Amino acid sequence: MIEVRHLSHNFGSHWALKDCSFRLKKGEFLFLSGPSGAGKTTLLRLLFAGMPVQRGEAKVAGFNLNKIRAAEVPLLRRQVSVVFQDFKILPERSVYDNVILPLQVRGLGQLHADRRVRAVVRALGLETRQNLPCGELSGGEQQRVAVARAFVVNPQVLLADEPTGNLDADLSFRLMDLFKQFQVYGTTMIVATHSQELIRRHPEARVIRLEDGMITGANWPGAAIYPASAAAPRAPQPARPSQPIRPSKEDER
Amino acid sequence: MPTVFRLLKQGVLDFSINPWAQFLTLSAVVMVSFLVGLFLMAITTLDHQLSTVSGETSFQVYWRPGQNMDEVRAQWQELRHLPGFLHARTYTPEQAVKEMEGRLGRGMTRNLSFLEDNNPLPATALLTFSPGATDEQDYEAWFNETRKHLWSLAGVEQVSVTPLRDELGQAWNKVNAFVVRPAIIFLALLLGLVVGNTVRLALLGKSNEVEILQMVGAFNWYIRLPLLVCGAIQGLVGSGLALLILRVIHMQIRDVLNFPPLLLQIRFLEPEIALLMLAVSTFMGVLGGWAGMKRS
Repeated sequence: MIEVRHLSHNFGSHWALKDCSFRLKKGEFLFLSGPSGAGKTTLLRLLFAGMPVQRGEAKVAGFNLNKIRAAEVPLLRRQVSVVFQDFKILPERSVYDNVILPLQVRGLGQLHADRRVRAVVRALGLETRQNLPCGELSGGEQQRVAVARAFVVNPQVLLADEPTGNLDADLSFRLMDLFKQFQVYGTTMIVATHSQELIRRHPEARVIRLEDGMITGANWPGAAIYPASAAAPRAPQPARPSQPIRPSKEDER
Repeated sequence: MPTVFRLLKQGVLDFSINPWAQFLTLSAVVMVSFLVGLFLMAITTLDHQLSTVSGETSFQVYWRPGQNMDEVRAQWQELRHLPGFLHARTYTPEQAVKEMEGRLGRGMTRNLSFLEDNNPLPATALLTFSPGATDEQDYEAWFNETRKHLWSLAGVEQVSVTPLRDELGQAWNKVNAFVVRPAIIFLALLLGLVVGNTVRLALLGKSNEVEILQMVGAFNWYIRLPLLVCGAIQGLVGSGLALLILRVIHMQIRDVLNFPPLLLQIRFLEPEIALLMLAVSTFMGVLGGWAGMKRS
């Protein structure tokens, strides 16, 4: 579903991502952990074609991001939903209007779209708030609107950039539980977070640790932890050797 | 199809983004369209006038004041039998006074009844001919003979010639080609520029929405259609309002030049020209909107 090989990206002289490689299958759940500035957002932006691939290779939901044409980007984004820390919702529009937006973009019939929106809104506990403008909702509710909009299209891939960044611990855990619920539909998910507590609560999930743009740890062999490769950019090498994070039970089998 | 209708509706709703900018743009479009309409009205009027008088020659004949009107009226009847005669507008001294009363400006007395007993104005006739001459020599011969005949009428004090002929038509065509048409094209481009800038503003105003639409997989046409509709509405409504204002003004000034020797009735735009103006304005609105988006 997602395949990244020797992916590197620089902003001027600064390498935000260096020689990253990993592979995720359909329905797998991955935490991208690491401190601020580690390259998590850069990686996610590359994966939904928010920026062109500079070095390395990336394939997402059947699209080769190295060869993707501008006209194909909307098609990729119909398979890849994104949730941002700052929600990116339209505050003056209602919850319902925000959630139905991706279905309208796809030209889905009103009846069908309406049914799906109501189901997702109910699943996220927003049914009593669906006619309110999003600007009147709390941060947690707005985050749920963003999640509802992401899941209403049954995406093949979900990318979430610090989705719990604005939420308290309890809400964060509930939001992650919701993510896990939607995993049963086969959605491959990548969640960027710097919360170790969140990662600890989901031991079955894949985890990649990013530092200075490099993968310095992973809990399954699908991610390449070693730093430099033949395709790596001429960039500063990681200062310390990477250590694998504890492997998941599935990997041990 | 419902998607397209929804986007069209969104285009109308987008007017609420920067309402003042939209209003000012609409005003600018009305003014530009009004100017274009005035140019077109001038062209229509002059074209009609020239096509009517092309190849015609008009003589204005003045009799001496106090001339016996029975005799003059008999002469007017006789003049209708001259070769090439088309039509005549005649004024007795009394009619001339009435005409003058109607044309005196504000602040001046409009009652000239004191002139009735001792009217100083002459009887006049504006005679229009279409000589149908085959060459210049033929025309000169007819011209000299007619003028000589008019001068020979009893009581005639002056004969003047109004040379509304092909030369004037050719001159007008040059003015039309080198001044009026380029001016209309320039104004149309100006209209596109004005609308384009507003669409650009609207696009900045909804940058958050555009970003979200791109994020959820909207194609460019889906994002742009409402803004193009916005531009089209600006062009259509703006030029429609301009046409309405022009029509009202036309009704007031239709006959202000319709007096001898001009006899120029100001004409409103032909229906097909008015429709063309609406269509071009709408198209320029769309084009301006598209260019505005391209620059953003």
